[in-house]
Amino acid sequence: MATRVDPNFMQSLEKFGVKDWKGCFHCGNCTASCPLIEEEYQFPRKVIRQAQMGLKDRLESNIDLWMCYFCGDCTKTCPREANPCELMRSIRRYQISAYDWTGLSKKFFTSQKWELSFFFGIAILILILFAIFLPPSPELWTNPTRFINEQGGVMINNMVDGISGEKFLYIIHYGDWIMAFVAGGLLITNILHMFYLTLWRDKSVQIPFYAYFTQLWKLIYHFATQPKLRKCDDKLYWLGHMVFMTGYTIMFVLIVGMLPRFQIEEVVPWYNWQRILGYYATIGIIVFLIPVVIGRFRKNKCKLKYSHFTDWHFIIMLILTTISGILIHIFRLAGMPVATYFSYVIHLAILVPMIMIEVPFSKWSHLAYRPFAIYIAALKKAVVKKKQPEQVPVFA
Amino acid sequence: MEEIRIGVYVCWCGTNISKMVDVEDVAREIETLPYVVVARDYKYMCSDPGQDLIINDIKKHKLNRIVVSACSPRIHELTFRKALENAGLNPYMFEMANIREHVSWVHTSREDATKKAKALVAGAVSRVRWHNSLDKRFVEINPATLIIGGGISGISAALEIADSGKQVYLIEKTGQLGGFAAKIDLSSPFMYSAPQMINPKIDKIFKHPQITVFLNTQVEEMSGYYGNFTTKIKTEEDHEVELKFGNIILAIGLSTFDPSVIENYKYGKIPDVITSLEFEQYLISGKILRKDGSVPKNVAIIHCVGSRNSNYHDYCSRLCCKNALKYSNLIRAAIPDANIFELYSDMRAMGDGCEELYSATSRKNVMFLMFDQKNGMPDIREASSDDNCKMVIEMDEKLSGERVEIPADLVILMVAIEAQKEAKKLAQAIGISMCGNQFFIERHPKLDPVATTTDGVYIVGSCQAPKGIPHSVAQARAATARILARINVGHVEVEAATAKVNEDICCGCQTCISICPYSAISLDEEKQVSVVNEVLCKGCGTCCSACPNGAIRAQHFTDTQILSQIDGLLEKSLQLQEGLL
Repeated sequence: MATRVDPNFMQSLEKFGVKDWKGCFHCGNCTASCPLIEEEYQFPRKVIRQAQMGLKDRLESNIDLWMCYFCGDCTKTCPREANPCELMRSIRRYQISAYDWTGLSKKFFTSQKWELSFFFGIAILILILFAIFLPPSPELWTNPTRFINEQGGVMINNMVDGISGEKFLYIIHYGDWIMAFVAGGLLITNILHMFYLTLWRDKSVQIPFYAYFTQLWKLIYHFATQPKLRKCDDKLYWLGHMVFMTGYTIMFVLIVGMLPRFQIEEVVPWYNWQRILGYYATIGIIVFLIPVVIGRFRKNKCKLKYSHFTDWHFIIMLILTTISGILIHIFRLAGMPVATYFSYVIHLAILVPMIMIEVPFSKWSHLAYRPFAIYIAALKKAVVKKKQPEQVPVFA
Repeated sequence: MEEIRIGVYVCWCGTNISKMVDVEDVAREIETLPYVVVARDYKYMCSDPGQDLIINDIKKHKLNRIVVSACSPRIHELTFRKALENAGLNPYMFEMANIREHVSWVHTSREDATKKAKALVAGAVSRVRWHNSLDKRFVEINPATLIIGGGISGISAALEIADSGKQVYLIEKTGQLGGFAAKIDLSSPFMYSAPQMINPKIDKIFKHPQITVFLNTQVEEMSGYYGNFTTKIKTEEDHEVELKFGNIILAIGLSTFDPSVIENYKYGKIPDVITSLEFEQYLISGKILRKDGSVPKNVAIIHCVGSRNSNYHDYCSRLCCKNALKYSNLIRAAIPDANIFELYSDMRAMGDGCEELYSATSRKNVMFLMFDQKNGMPDIREASSDDNCKMVIEMDEKLSGERVEIPADLVILMVAIEAQKEAKKLAQAIGISMCGNQFFIERHPKLDPVATTTDGVYIVGSCQAPKGIPHSVAQARAATARILARINVGHVEVEAATAKVNEDICCGCQTCISICPYSAISLDEEKQVSVVNEVLCKGCGTCCSACPNGAIRAQHFTDTQILSQIDGLLEKSLQLQEGLL
């Protein structure tokens, strides 16, 4: 059955960041220069073709896009300056919005107002919840010494009147769980939708059930180490991303998984595991963020040259979260209960909307889509191998 | 009869010949042959000192026949003939033996090669004894020129020649000048207005005192030869006019492919499938509308209609890609929100400004879709009510590997450029060659691009191959330069080694007339014998071998000459291989 071409589709993609795509005349230099293509995944030329012709179904089911880690070699070799690299990233944004069944993702990627309103909406909700249910104790101002422990630090769980330290801790703890549950739940449903669009919708493809298990190691391996990024980019960038990723994962586990053991009243010495891990995570996030921000301003690296507003939103949210987190720590150690309380509230008012926006709907969702795409590709490969289709020469 | 005194010169050609042939031995042995007065060897016979050697010997030894044993006569025969002329000898008293291409370059035994060289030179010596003086002949050139075809090529050539003060007869088969250039609005890729370019030139043609224009006139037959052609034409007023002229320029231009033979495209069945030529009329009228008067929302332009397809024409029509790009631009300007599709098989917009036009067009939201000429060619059908367009084109898109359908309200077929229908008749009447695609063939595709194998006949513009205005004008002016240079000389040298009829033996069977490739032989009705027109004859010898009773013979290739060459060659080779006898 023939598919109807859509000449206006590319125009609609422009909001996702597509620039200068019109020059492409399909010489295929981009594909030839790409270090990551394999026989099964051919990009960027083929993907660009699908986009140019407006073949939406093909794009939504195209898993190859996620095999690209944006080294920029294609853009460097493009004779028509069509910027295939950026085109690929923009189409990935389109794909994320296609995976998202709620439609919010599309709103966030195509409208800055939508993303900002959502952010401030959740932030204000957090502030209101704190104001009503966990207001600061007036004694923070009148009798600050009451909140200082033996080590001279602020007792972080006892800053609210009428609520015991343990109760406060568990309110935050369960709050974190709710946040993780909602964001994770949305992300999981989007991943299932991704499975549907890329794999299950095509009824002719039958995935052998055992393959879901035999290929699972790829999901874990690629999630944990990003070997393709290492192959594609300079090693330093991969290392920075690795430190950042492990740092953030540690922080996430400390906060969401084991808050009662992390957020304790006692100020432990610096060599205790809570503080060592906390410092590692903080430094990991900072050492990666600083060069990325500089790179985005200087535009010296292909992958940092074009910044979509969602890129900036993500970076700003991360920076604010990190700064507010560091401030909590400093104020606490300095024995400043009022500042500790407010930096704590602000930290949560930034962190929660960031997680709610970024993880299921926006840029950060790549943490799941990238390894899952490799998993899905491996599943497809398992089928392809079994069926042994006739060799059709592919013009890449 | 004068005493025959032959000089023989054996060339070393550096080491080219001398490394495989003992040239000194050859010269020594040949010197012993009868009539040979002097035989020498020299490093480079074709060099100035080598030629001087011959000239001095001719004077010193009173030589009257020369044999040079060196390379192929194709390379240096004219050089040595010139040397003979400089020494006061008739240039035809010369024979060349090829001991390089035929001997040193192709053999590996020095001994055998030397023997073969001796035999070849002996043959040449034997032949040259029978050579006769042949005289150079000249014919006057009529300074008038006939130009057939009043398109941009014919017009350009006519003005150029007429401006130099020479008479031009311009013949056009239709009722107006301008040809195809007058049927288009803007020319690609620079979008010059074609009428603005061509109309002033047409005005000038009609006012020019040196140009006589014949409209609605066709040339049926042609007689005469280079410098003195004659034709009879019937004018518009039905007068018979005889024209005399020295040169002919063929500028009959092109015609277009009839797309109705390609069933996929439904040309003639669906009204809004039109040819590029018809679309030019839309552009001239300033309205891009469907047949029902509505504005098309989706316009599809199909390239290579009849071109580059083994079922129709193998060749590329060269102009369609850039014209299609021009259409996209003009449609985008006229209907800004139209969906424009270019269905192409390879983008071949070539020439100045064309790649830039392609680039610029691709940035105007035009969708380019590539099809294969063999599989999955576009197929046009009328749309059903829920298609939201008038026609649907289905095709295999090559770059994506997808089967796609394209909505269309107007389809423009970029039809191939073909040779004119009457080209074949004209080629036969004038005696020039055509390629398999019915285009006229030039004398040499690289070195002699506007001349033909018939002297005095030139081909310019799209009758030679599809080409645009700049190339047509360039060719027209190139032909003009050639013609004016010849007219300036005033006469032309013609081949001396022509065929000659022995009227005593000729029985008037006319076999020679039927096979002469240059139409150089005619029948003398009174005497009932064949007569060779020495201006037209190229001395090819076809008639000599066909003549049943040997009445016609080629000068410089007489039976005596050829047989004695064979005699000399065999005698020497048998002598050298006595052991075999």
